[in-house]
Amino acid sequence: MFATSRTTKLMLHIANLMVIAFILLPLVAVLIGSIQSEKALQADTRRVLPLEFTLDNFTVILTKGEQKGRIFEQVTYLPDNIKNFYTAFLNSAIVAGSVTFLTLLFGSLSAYTIARQRFRWTLFLLQANIVARFVPVIVLMIPLYVVMRSVGQLNSLTGVIIAETGFLLPYAILILAPYFDTIPAELEEAARIDGCSRFSAFVHVVLPLATPALAACGVIMFIISWHELLIPLILNARPDVMTLPVVIASLVGDVHVFFNLMMAICLLALAPTVILVALLQRYIVEGLSAGAVKG
Amino acid sequence: MSAGSFAFFMNLPTLFFLGLVLAYPVIYAGYLSVHQVGLAQLRRGVFAFNGWDNYSRVLEDPLFWIAIKNTSIFTAITVGSEVVLAVLIALLLNQTGIWTSRITRFLILLPYAIPPIANGLIWSFLYSFQFGFLNRILFSLGLIDDPINWAGNPDTALYAVTVPYIWRTLPFAIILVHAALQGIPRELYEAAAVDGARAWHRFWHITLPLLRPIIAIILVLRTAFAFAVFEEILAITQGGPGDATWVAAWYSYKITFSPPNNFGMGSASAFILTLMIGLIALVYMRMVYRRVTL
Repeated sequence: MFATSRTTKLMLHIANLMVIAFILLPLVAVLIGSIQSEKALQADTRRVLPLEFTLDNFTVILTKGEQKGRIFEQVTYLPDNIKNFYTAFLNSAIVAGSVTFLTLLFGSLSAYTIARQRFRWTLFLLQANIVARFVPVIVLMIPLYVVMRSVGQLNSLTGVIIAETGFLLPYAILILAPYFDTIPAELEEAARIDGCSRFSAFVHVVLPLATPALAACGVIMFIISWHELLIPLILNARPDVMTLPVVIASLVGDVHVFFNLMMAICLLALAPTVILVALLQRYIVEGLSAGAVKG
Repeated sequence: MSAGSFAFFMNLPTLFFLGLVLAYPVIYAGYLSVHQVGLAQLRRGVFAFNGWDNYSRVLEDPLFWIAIKNTSIFTAITVGSEVVLAVLIALLLNQTGIWTSRITRFLILLPYAIPPIANGLIWSFLYSFQFGFLNRILFSLGLIDDPINWAGNPDTALYAVTVPYIWRTLPFAIILVHAALQGIPRELYEAAAVDGARAWHRFWHITLPLLRPIIAIILVLRTAFAFAVFEEILAITQGGPGDATWVAAWYSYKITFSPPNNFGMGSASAFILTLMIGLIALVYMRMVYRRVTL
């Protein structure tokens, strides 16, 4: 923007390198930790890169503990949750997929009316959504546990999907409403004159124009849901309904699981959302700004 | 169909979910917080009213006050560093002539993609006293002779858990500041340059005042969320060593879901946390949606 001296440029490069190193530090750690054996990690506690690498950690997780490979040959006990990787991955995908679909569906219906129909109660609904975004999960989970327990919905994916949808819906509305506000109302009015009902004008005229907003909101919903720990942790204790974050949390403090295996399962769990972020960065950036500051 | 009933039908699912999963649980948490609720009562389904008992037991519990103190320190450190770092890094990303800034811009959102619980576990590997990755790096660089017990030392543990949290949540703040920076008209800087204003003056008198609204929003949002920090604590320290990293959400969680499972006290403490965050939410609403029109 302005003529910068050589020293300023150098300092800016150094600052960038420091930021890049900070961003990459945990990712390098999880990568290097996951491709070595427990023995290598323990043999020399001062080496960054071990003498030999192995993919056995991934093999043992991805074959449900059947193929142990060289480094787990001697191991007699593996936590069941490690063997349940595929189930947990599938559960996470079902929950995150359903929550994304439901929050987009209900969120766009609400966000559209909040942006278009200015009644006192729709303004109140908007305010309620803003406040709702701040409610900490923990205060919801204690009563939800008691309620789900009494209606027999503990240990079910449906219960988790309902809880997460309700929890994320306000945020979806806050992301979508500013977008709907920018779509000119004249388009729907023209469609209404041509005989469209309000609802079909929304579906056929507004929604197609809002595709970028739906993409932005959808990918954010998917990521938050994929990451959510507390809701499934409290509602689901049975292995067949655990999601990936719950499986990961169950390894904390398990003396039979060493860092190499933990890092491998962390890497497998973070891969899907890292790919999403890499591919859809632009949408996420737009969605995050829209959800925090109005339009 | 009239506009009013159309709006009502369009909002039915949202009203249903807000009622079922947000309003009702919050009210029910208030109900639980004035009743005696343990596992035995849960089994029978009968809760005895016990007035302010749960609240006074929470407020008389030294551990609760330690948790509030730790949460406050944690929040002050994370929010303070995030605001400063977000402004600095956003300015860095805005440098068009520096090629390394393009790399940073490409990588900046990466932490947003990491599940918080995985982030916590990765940092527990980084921080490990005996086998940790951080000590390995410092050994290799010749910076230390003895391993450092990052998260296991009661004096440093609370500071240690702020770093992973800052790492994970910083991209959000950077993106907001960066978006605001791009909204500042270039002419302002050009006029200032003509007037001979130095870089520092341009930042202080043009950039910073124009960033003030977004900084306020980040302050409030991040304060509210940092107050409810949970995953990194669970993965790295589980509140320890001793009570050095007990935070408010961890307190409510442990009181409720580990023996002796006091749901009443857990609800009371969670309710207190919610009230504190609720105050922050009101500040936010006044700030962003003052004339609640979109």
